[in-house]
This record gives sequence, C-alpha cells and structure tokens, in this order.
Amino acid sequence: MGQVLGYTRMLIRAYMRDWVALFFGFFFPLIFMSLFGVLNFGSFGHVSLGVADEAGNADSAQLVAAFSKIETLQVHKGSRGDELAAMDKGDRDIVLVIPSDFRIAPVQPGQTAPTMTMYQSSARAEQSAVGASIVQQFIDQLSFAVTRTAPVVTVKREEVAGRNLKYVDFLTPGIVGMTIMQLGIASVMFTFVVDRQRGVIRRIMATPISRRAYMAAHVLERLILAVLQVGVLIAVAVLLFKVQIVGSMAVLLLLTVLGSALFLCLGFATSAFVTTEQQAPAVMQLVTLPQMFLSGVFFSRDVVPSFLKPISDYLPLTFLNDALRQVATAGASLVDIRGDLAGLVLWAAVTFVLAFRFFRLET
Amino acid sequence: MTAIVSVGGLRKRYGDIEAVAGVTFDVKQGEIFALLGPNGAGKTTTVEILEGLRQADEGTATVAGVDVRKDPSGVKERIGVQLQSSTFPENFLAKEIVELFALFYKRKVDAMALLRAVGLEDRAKQKSEKLSGGQRQRLSIAVAMVNEPQVLFLDEPTTGLDPQARRNLWDLIRAIRRRGTTVFLTTHYLDEAEVLCDRVAIMDAGKIIALDSPRSLIASLLARGFSKPVAQQQANLEDVFLDLTGHELRED
Repeated sequence: MGQVLGYTRMLIRAYMRDWVALFFGFFFPLIFMSLFGVLNFGSFGHVSLGVADEAGNADSAQLVAAFSKIETLQVHKGSRGDELAAMDKGDRDIVLVIPSDFRIAPVQPGQTAPTMTMYQSSARAEQSAVGASIVQQFIDQLSFAVTRTAPVVTVKREEVAGRNLKYVDFLTPGIVGMTIMQLGIASVMFTFVVDRQRGVIRRIMATPISRRAYMAAHVLERLILAVLQVGVLIAVAVLLFKVQIVGSMAVLLLLTVLGSALFLCLGFATSAFVTTEQQAPAVMQLVTLPQMFLSGVFFSRDVVPSFLKPISDYLPLTFLNDALRQVATAGASLVDIRGDLAGLVLWAAVTFVLAFRFFRLET
Repeated sequence: MTAIVSVGGLRKRYGDIEAVAGVTFDVKQGEIFALLGPNGAGKTTTVEILEGLRQADEGTATVAGVDVRKDPSGVKERIGVQLQSSTFPENFLAKEIVELFALFYKRKVDAMALLRAVGLEDRAKQKSEKLSGGQRQRLSIAVAMVNEPQVLFLDEPTTGLDPQARRNLWDLIRAIRRRGTTVFLTTHYLDEAEVLCDRVAIMDAGKIIALDSPRSLIASLLARGFSKPVAQQQANLEDVFLDLTGHELRED
C-alpha cells in the first residue's frame, strides 16, 4: 500500500512537469468553456412545448394553432398527466395547461381571468427559459389585442426547481463530462501505448513490483488528477463565469470518480488494440469524437438527428453529462439520477471486463 | 569459486524458431562474464529468462540461489538489470528515477550516492530523457544497483556510445565487480569482451559453441593452426582517436 501511494505521488509530481499534458488537461477545457460561453452558442435549437387543452373549445384550439405557427416551438398535445410524464423523461421543456374556463374575451366585471399553468423543466433549463418567455410574450400580446387593457388570461408559472439559467450554466457540466472522458481515455491511450512501445513498462516489470500494485498506482493517479481537474474547472466556472452549481458537490465528486473509472476502463479496453504511438490519436478520436457531438456536451441533445437518437441515448458520456447537468443545474439527488447512475455503472462494468480481458502491460 | 548463475538444458521456442536450443553454462561468483554472438543468436532471450522476464520451455536456471521458474520475483529481488532498448518514464529527474526504482524494491536509498558512483551527481536535477546516451546508460546502471544486487545483468550496455563513454563504462563495470557484484553482460564488441571479461560464452543459432577465458579461446584457436596476415601495428585508429580527443567523457 505504501508502495502504491508512493508511486502515485511520484507519478503526479512527474505529471505536473509535463506542460503538454497540463495544457490539454487543465487549460484546454477552460478555453473551450470560454469560447462557447462568450459566443453563447446556447440560444439554439427547438423548444418542446406540451399542451394539455382542458378547455377543448374553439378559443383554446385557436391558441394552440397559433403556438404551432411559432417556429421555435415544437408543439405536442396530450393530457396533463401524459405531458408531465413526457417532461419527466426529458421530452418536454415546457408543459402548458389550458384551464377549462379558458376563452379569448375580455374578463367580465366580478370574474377572474382564467389561469394557465406552465410547467418548466429545469433539467433543460435553457430551452424552457426561452420557451417560457416566448409563451409569456405571446399571451401578453394576445391579451392586449383583445382587451386593450386587462389580460384575458394570466399565466401561473410552475418552475420546477425554477431558476433562470444561463447557457454557461448548461455548458459547464458538459465541459466537465467531456474533460473526464478525454482525460480518462487519453491518459491511458498515450502513456500506456508509448510506455509499452519504448520498453518503459518492460523495465519496470524487471523489478519485483507486482502488476497489481503498478496498475493500482496508475489508476489512482488518474482518478486524483481527474478530481483536481474537475475542481479547477468548476472553480473557474464559478468564479470567472458566475456559473451556478445548484446541486451537491459530493454528488459531483462521486460522478467524477465514477465517470473517470468508466473512461479509464474504456481507455484500457481500446488501447489493447493499439500497438503504436501513431495509431493512438486516430483510435482516440474514433472513441471520443462521436460522444463529443452526440452526448450533449455543448448543446442539448435535442439537436441530435432522430436516427442517431437511439445511439446517443446509450453512449457513456450521455449518462455522465445528463447526470452532471441534472445535479449542477437542477440540484438533482442521487435518487433523481438513478437511471444515469445505472447506465454509468453498467458501462463501467462492461468496459472493466473488456479491459481485464484484453489489456496487456507488455506486447 | 561457486557458481552464482547456473543454467542447464535451457530451451525456448517462438513458433518455428528455437531461439534457445539447449544451453548449459555456469557463471562464477565475482566474475565478469559475457555472452557473445551475432544478432538473433538467442542472447537476449537467454538473459531475459535469467532475469525472470520470460518463461523457458525446458531446462533449469538458478540465479543467486533462486530457481527462476519457481520464483521469478525472488530472482528480481536479487539481481540488477539494464535492458536493451528500454527507456525510463518521462518527466522524472535523474534522482527521482533512482528513488522510483528503489520504491519498486520497497527500499530507501541514498540516490545521490548512487548517482555519484556513476558520475552523474551534477545531473541529478535533470530530466532523464534529456541526458546523453552515455549518461543514460550510467543512470540505468545506477538504477540497476538500487537493490544491492548479487548479479548485474547488462544487455549491450555500450551499444551506440562514443569511445570515451565506452571506456568510462568499462571502468564503472570493473568498479562494480570490485565491490563483489557478479556482472553478466552481452555485447557485440569483441574488443570489449577481450579487455573486460574473465570468461566469455559464444552463442550461435541458440547454442553455446565456446566458453572460456578470452585468452584461452585465442590460444586454442592458434593451437589449431590459425594464422592471419599480420601487419604489426603498435597502435590502431581508436588509439589515434583517443590520443587526439582525450579520454575525458564528453557531456552534451
């Protein structure tokens, strides 16, 4: 144990001298975050609006038709229960309930205006905020057009863990997830393939250190570095970009460790099939690039084309990003993200078995 | 003198090629012993079996009193190795490399003393990958000594070194032997084997075809009636080179 810890400490010290690794590990994700944060690429994509029409009259039909004409909104109709269930699954950003007393007419003296309830998904805070403001604006205009004075309908907002989130709040968990993935895979892919090819591992295996102790130190080093890097990333996000982290840091830490373990295993499993330094970058891109674009790093997964959706839904980074984002932006608890956790654990188990089966320290 | 390395009927096959085809020899305690032979003769395979890095198909090998097949890690505890074409991990300082390997043996060492012994004291704070070829070989010998080994295995230690660095390494190897460590090396340089070694084994096609002291091997060749046209030279080109450039090590 002392040997493993001592070796881990020496590995970290050597890593801190490696400027290239430091750049890619620490600064690169920050550059990404700054770039996307400043450019504010987030105002992009559709807002999925669920409408539960409990009035079912001509006026409500007219309202729904009008919503359908707004390009940014994808309107789905259904019962309140169905639409809220769809929101739970992340398929709706907003659910609007049209009350049975709804009508487009001036309010008679002595009566109150009918109240629409708008549910906003905080898991997709960015879309729901955009959608909510569109709906609110539309209704304000409608009211004004009808009455010139008083609103025909008021909207009661039900903000589910309601918060006004900026794009960078949405982006940060994605960048954290991406960093965990890159770090896990690159740190195995490059160092192990290179060390194997240059005889570094062979030289170490000529000493009595056990393979288990050797591997333990390398894995422990990478887990510690991942936690450090995520810590730096979140600190910069909070201090510099005023990102709000709603959920528990302990849960984020747990996700960082679990995610890193998963991607280390994936790195070990894939690097088993990489024999030279030259192959490493190509194989690494092959594994990471699809996840960068299909797992909701920079944008909501709404923009993923529907034929890729089934793949996107089950990628390891999708589970990690969803979990990180739910915790960071909506304060989700471990129970709330149990689906993602199950996905992560399953992936970790599968990749661990593959790594154990195929990874070799020596050629 | 007692044998510290004892090899009997050793065989190792890779596919169709029998890299080691029944090798038997002893290395005596405290000698400098060389395994010579052309590329592909099976030298490195033999050495790596003795170092516990490979399993022999057949035969016995005992190093420092330990059966290599039964207890490879016990052998690793007792020997020091310098492998052919292996490098150290990057971003470690020379001193840290020594400490790192000491840790692999669960030992605490005076890294500076080991570096001093190989003349690398002033390079202690340099990254190992920034050292010159000769310095790197000396570092790898310092590393091979961290566990105070009974046998030091050196696989082609002087390949690629300039004449000064080569001579410097010979001095170092002799100094290690004086401290009581047996040295087992492989080399392509026959002049090196001749001046450095007490005994040499010549290996070809997986077999040992001669084993004796360099002087006896030469004597028996001459006794078989060998002669070559002799141009009596009092010096050779290497002497000229060393006379002009000096014996001091060049550090680049």
